[in-house]
Amino acid sequence: MSNLNELSITDAAKKLQTGEITAVDLARACLEEIEKERPAGKCDRLNAFLEVFDDVIAQAEEADKRRTAGENHPLLGIPLAIKDNILIEGRRASAASKMLENYVATYDATVIKKLKEAGAVFLGRTNMDEFALGSSTENSAFGVTKNPHDESRVPGGSSGGSAAAVAAHMALGALGTDTGGSIREPASFCGVVGLKPTYGAVSRFGLIAMGSSLDQAGPLTRSVEDAELLFTVIRGRDTLDSTTVDETFYKKRSGGRRIGVPRRLLESGLETDVIQKFEKSLDVMRSKGYEIIDVELPLADLALAVYYIIMQAEVSSNLARFDGVRYGLSLKGESLIDDYAKTRGEGFGHEARRRIMLGTYVLSSGYYDAYFGKATVAREALRREVAGVLEQVEVIATPTTTSPATKLGEKTDNPLSMYLLDILTVTANLTGNPAISLPMGTVERDGTQLPVGLQFTAAHGDENALFAAGRAVE
Amino acid sequence: MISREEVLKLAELARIKVGEGEIARLQKDISDILEYVETVSTVKIPNSLTERDGVPPLRNVMREDTPRSTGDPLSGKEDALRAAFPKKENGYNVVRKIIQKDE
Repeated sequence: MSNLNELSITDAAKKLQTGEITAVDLARACLEEIEKERPAGKCDRLNAFLEVFDDVIAQAEEADKRRTAGENHPLLGIPLAIKDNILIEGRRASAASKMLENYVATYDATVIKKLKEAGAVFLGRTNMDEFALGSSTENSAFGVTKNPHDESRVPGGSSGGSAAAVAAHMALGALGTDTGGSIREPASFCGVVGLKPTYGAVSRFGLIAMGSSLDQAGPLTRSVEDAELLFTVIRGRDTLDSTTVDETFYKKRSGGRRIGVPRRLLESGLETDVIQKFEKSLDVMRSKGYEIIDVELPLADLALAVYYIIMQAEVSSNLARFDGVRYGLSLKGESLIDDYAKTRGEGFGHEARRRIMLGTYVLSSGYYDAYFGKATVAREALRREVAGVLEQVEVIATPTTTSPATKLGEKTDNPLSMYLLDILTVTANLTGNPAISLPMGTVERDGTQLPVGLQFTAAHGDENALFAAGRAVE
Repeated sequence: MISREEVLKLAELARIKVGEGEIARLQKDISDILEYVETVSTVKIPNSLTERDGVPPLRNVMREDTPRSTGDPLSGKEDALRAAFPKKENGYNVVRKIIQKDE
């Protein structure tokens, strides 16, 4: 049978369970797709993978053995791609940075441990913006990933490699991380489903931290059902991440069918055909029995400014650990302080250096109150505003991005214009709410059809509302 | 626009060596971004909110300060951690001497 790599996870699981196919068949199909038209020195034609593991077939054989021995988990033998900032014991995890180019993970991230227990097969590690700092994968120290729908365009970021690998059928699903939209924005640009779970739903133990009050890991898949399956496996309280909570932490919600649309927020900045696709999706929701209500989110306009203060502050703290003393790149200067400065000056790329410096600025004495202090209060006001809206409706709907994928290099000279790509996604990270992006069709640019995403945001712990709405419109 | 000296001061605080050639670009980019994020000062904070409300509802999660037990993902990983040291000697991480003797 051909094109096994194009199966959804749930369909592949059924075929594996009936014995129609083996995990080795699936792994081979993915590896063939990865190697198709591969340029010299790269793992695949899109530069989606930084490394394809040399034991993929052996992992698949092991999964087949476990099935013969009686195991039957839906992820047993499913080939997945893993973002390069998630630790797998004994394998490299570079966060697409020169700083960690040769770093070998000493333990498994909790999400990896859970996937190993289920029997998933890891194909390799995927490209990303260095330390997840970016929205286009152009900040990778190892070259940009190309969008499978148009190779002159970005795949989005920072989980661009994961999104591209799933969209190009190189993997059945992938893990990414999302600090300000890093799962949902590439999902939108590549035409796949991307879920950022509720803050605290999924353990971050073993993830290379970016913004610790914002980061979440989540799945990128080709269907809502697949995203739900992966989420169910990786979620849960973990004593090694004290921010995690169990499923019973948030009270169960009614499961109603009301969708709030913040019309005023969508009045400016969005491209016309993106809005048209959005309206069409809302029509589909109406026909499925959903009620569409106008809601107000007056503070959401300022969310991006709040986000860029808090995120940069947290980045400057989290990236302080990379000093060349215990692991990673280590360069010698004239003194200890010079060792640090040299290591960090050469190990970090331009974007990382700038964000660390900006974070240092907003946290420094004399500026702290004006920036960080103000931003944290604004964040709480925003959290209350979103919570208030989610008392009237089950989900808030917006497009995921204001436009389809942009051209490679289009925004690299102007960081602010790059940051504006995140304007509709950062709110869910600031407030901790779960949000999903799913394809809502395509728009044409330069004669090419490019996917655009629909984003739903739900109350804390109410991923079920996202999956229900997602299935209705999918 | 923030000055060249301010950029150098920030770089020093952040322990990052910046090249002469990128200082001008950093001055411009940092100034543009600061100008944008300054819009937070226009946020109308409801009267019901105070500075204290910006502090998330934190609680301490404590554990005993004991060695990692078997089954813990970090137990038995000492060799792997040592292997990552940039410079090692007899199983120790060799670091630069930071206290100098007065001459």
